[in-house]
Amino acid sequence: MTPGALLYLDLLMMGLMLVLAVGALYARSLRHAVILFIVFGLVVALVWARLRAPDIALAEAAIGSGLAGALLLAALRDRRRGAESAPRSPAWQVVAVGAVVAGLVLLLAWAFLDLQGERANGPLADTVRANLDVSGVSNPVTAVLLNFRAYDTLLELTVLLAALLGVMSLGPQRPPMDAAEPMAAGLIGWLIPLLIVAGSYLLWVGAHAPGGAFQAGALLAAAAVLADLGGRREFRLPGQTWLRLLAVAGCAVFTLVGLAALIGSGVLLQLPPDWAGSLILLIELFATASIASALFLVYLGGHPPSWNSREGHPDA
Amino acid sequence: MNESMALTIALPLLGGLFAAAWPRRCVSIGIASVVLSTLAVGWLWFSLDAQGPSDQALGGWTPGLGIRLHVDALSILMLSMTALVVLAISVYASHYFTRRSQAARFWPLWLLMVAALNGLFLAGDLFNLYVTLELLGLSAVALTALGGNRAGIAAALRYLMIGLLGSMGYLAGVAMLYAAFGTLDMQQVAAQTGEDPVSQAALIVMTTGLLLKSALFPLHFWLPPAHSNAPAPVSAALSALVVKAGFYLVLRLWTEVFPDTISEHGATLVALLGAGAILWGSWQALQAERLKLLAAYSTVAQLGYLFVALALFISAPPGLARELLFGALVLMALTHAFAKSSLFLAIGVILHRSGHDRIAELGGTAQRLPATTFAIALAGVALIGLPPSGAFLGKWRLLYGAISLEQWLLVVVIGIGSLLAAAYVFRVLGHAFGRSAYSLQAFHSIHEEWPALLLALTATLLLGFGSAWIWPFLEHMA
Amino acid sequence: MPDPATLYGLLGIVLAGLGVHAAIVQRDSIRRLLAINVMGVGVFLVLIATAYFGPDQDPDPIPHALVLTGIVVAVAATALALALLRAFERSEDE
Repeated sequence: MTPGALLYLDLLMMGLMLVLAVGALYARSLRHAVILFIVFGLVVALVWARLRAPDIALAEAAIGSGLAGALLLAALRDRRRGAESAPRSPAWQVVAVGAVVAGLVLLLAWAFLDLQGERANGPLADTVRANLDVSGVSNPVTAVLLNFRAYDTLLELTVLLAALLGVMSLGPQRPPMDAAEPMAAGLIGWLIPLLIVAGSYLLWVGAHAPGGAFQAGALLAAAAVLADLGGRREFRLPGQTWLRLLAVAGCAVFTLVGLAALIGSGVLLQLPPDWAGSLILLIELFATASIASALFLVYLGGHPPSWNSREGHPDA
Repeated sequence: MNESMALTIALPLLGGLFAAAWPRRCVSIGIASVVLSTLAVGWLWFSLDAQGPSDQALGGWTPGLGIRLHVDALSILMLSMTALVVLAISVYASHYFTRRSQAARFWPLWLLMVAALNGLFLAGDLFNLYVTLELLGLSAVALTALGGNRAGIAAALRYLMIGLLGSMGYLAGVAMLYAAFGTLDMQQVAAQTGEDPVSQAALIVMTTGLLLKSALFPLHFWLPPAHSNAPAPVSAALSALVVKAGFYLVLRLWTEVFPDTISEHGATLVALLGAGAILWGSWQALQAERLKLLAAYSTVAQLGYLFVALALFISAPPGLARELLFGALVLMALTHAFAKSSLFLAIGVILHRSGHDRIAELGGTAQRLPATTFAIALAGVALIGLPPSGAFLGKWRLLYGAISLEQWLLVVVIGIGSLLAAAYVFRVLGHAFGRSAYSLQAFHSIHEEWPALLLALTATLLLGFGSAWIWPFLEHMA
Repeated sequence: MPDPATLYGLLGIVLAGLGVHAAIVQRDSIRRLLAINVMGVGVFLVLIATAYFGPDQDPDPIPHALVLTGIVVAVAATALALALLRAFERSEDE
């Protein structure tokens, strides 16, 4: 595509993003706002693809728009009729806050423009490329996530677990949906295996192409959500104890591998180059299971019936 | 050195995972993890003593590409403070949650929070700090909501939203810094910041986000409801440790990453806000009708002192005043952690035994719960800043610094703040020592009362008599 | 010919600003969450834009990893917030 045409495409996408964002933030009806937000998320995924960030595009579509959208729609459903939004702040506050925020935006924009002249592909990107061979994978993003900056990914899994524990402690899960009508049920019957296959593929391929544990986990969680929505009995999801163990397993395996590396090489998380590829796959396997169960449980919105049981038990 | 650094973070983390997976044994797992983490911190202290400030490049990758962990005098002091306070609160918590389902919800989140705190104090990478901040925030929010009461849930939700705004602001700054300087490592970024637009914009945006998280006046409005409606052990940790994390980050950023970027005006603004916090917080504490609310507002005031000290330190020219101020603010932060956690645990005991924490109806508490009342008295001494507490030494040197920098307004404010603190502490003690309608028998319970007592003793005696070494320690291990 | 990275970066800053504004001004919790998420997208856009170096050069993978982490953290926080909101609204009935 010629540079001129690409620019028009960019301007179009930017305009679309702005309009959708304003709609999502200020639409009168809350339901419209949520739907516009979901669409916004999908446009954002397109923008990530345009900016040559396919891993992020996958993650945004699956997690940022897909799962977040499901959570928000479920929250809308939980809300009783007529419990609509509280009114906005008075007009003077809107203007005052707007002025302050506009000031900050201008400050940041000025700073951002100031650096445009000197941008060059930074030294870090070169270091990543240089070390890619010993990292154990050939997808640079996976290498950064699971080798160079693995500690961040470990903590990120822990963040997800903490959110999950919080959600579980707040009360029982939301009531299940009614069984789906036959046509939808049939469609779901096809989609679930497809999602499982696609998810597993993404996990495997993440080592050398866009993909990875997070995207795979999100697709598997989507499969579980569909099973829950469809009310299909034959797709029996793992029992509650299993889900709990799976949710914890990702962080646990990651930490243990890191500590083993510490014992072996004296530095935390220093993976030996010969084993790096296999270790990363091992970590990603458990991480995918963890992410899938965590995202699914978080969608359920509370603890499944037998978690934290023993209410009413004598020594509880 | 590497091992102790890694274990300080990994032990509470694994403990939390283990406790989540095996809820039946969560209390034993919790106590064991906390004890082991404390030992790890002790080991780290020995290593630091032997080798001086050190780094660990995680994954073996050079910092910039990889993540760096860093330990120096300030980190180890914060880590030790966290370890000891967490240990005491954990002992209290092991008996606070009587139903196993409650305990099963508490311990995993508690241990994850400890891991986040340790990770934060050891972090040397800007994005890594963001992730630990988020872990800290989410676990703290989840813990706050454990009380189950409606006010607590509302406060937790507000705390979460404010926390997210704050971390997003911080992340925006990190994005700008990476765009400009091509690295996320704190020391490497520090080498490149100056008075250019990007540094200034990043400083403003990151500081604002962190001030939200540290509840500096007037961004403090979320703190009193959250700290006063959480379960007692959680409130203790929130006031003593979690808000300190925000302050610690501002301290690190200002002194190490942006030393040349900060302007006089910025420091003055923060000093004024700190002064406002001291006056407003102390005044509201005096008006409070419930003990927990009093303690929460007292935290707002104490944070004011810390930020005033920070602002003075940053704007002081090199010299005696500057060195004194740094040690003063560290000592005040440490003393407050012990004193405030002690106070909240003592309030927890009172709530448990009397069923309420209304100040006006505290009559007879001194007879019924002598150990707890003594703990409150000691903690109060440390909160006012009377000798021999650590806070006295800290405030004394803070005043010295303010006087030598001729900041008379701040001197007056600090004085008024201390008077107000004396007023609200003595008000509580006055009611506690008052008569009650019935004759009462003294009650003792080791697990419930001793943590508060030990914490208060540390704040008032240990940190008071034994804290002169902090100044040379900080200089030696800078 | 304006550089797409610059354009998208500026858009990111504007989106972040819109998000902050709505987060402060809107009173409803779900709207605030939407605002915080939009703010997050804005910051991520700045990061990805700085990682973009045109069709001929490979992008810088480090901001990509950071944004991926950010997306997961944002969803985790959103989930917790919605659960808190649900517990709060449910407690109204009791």
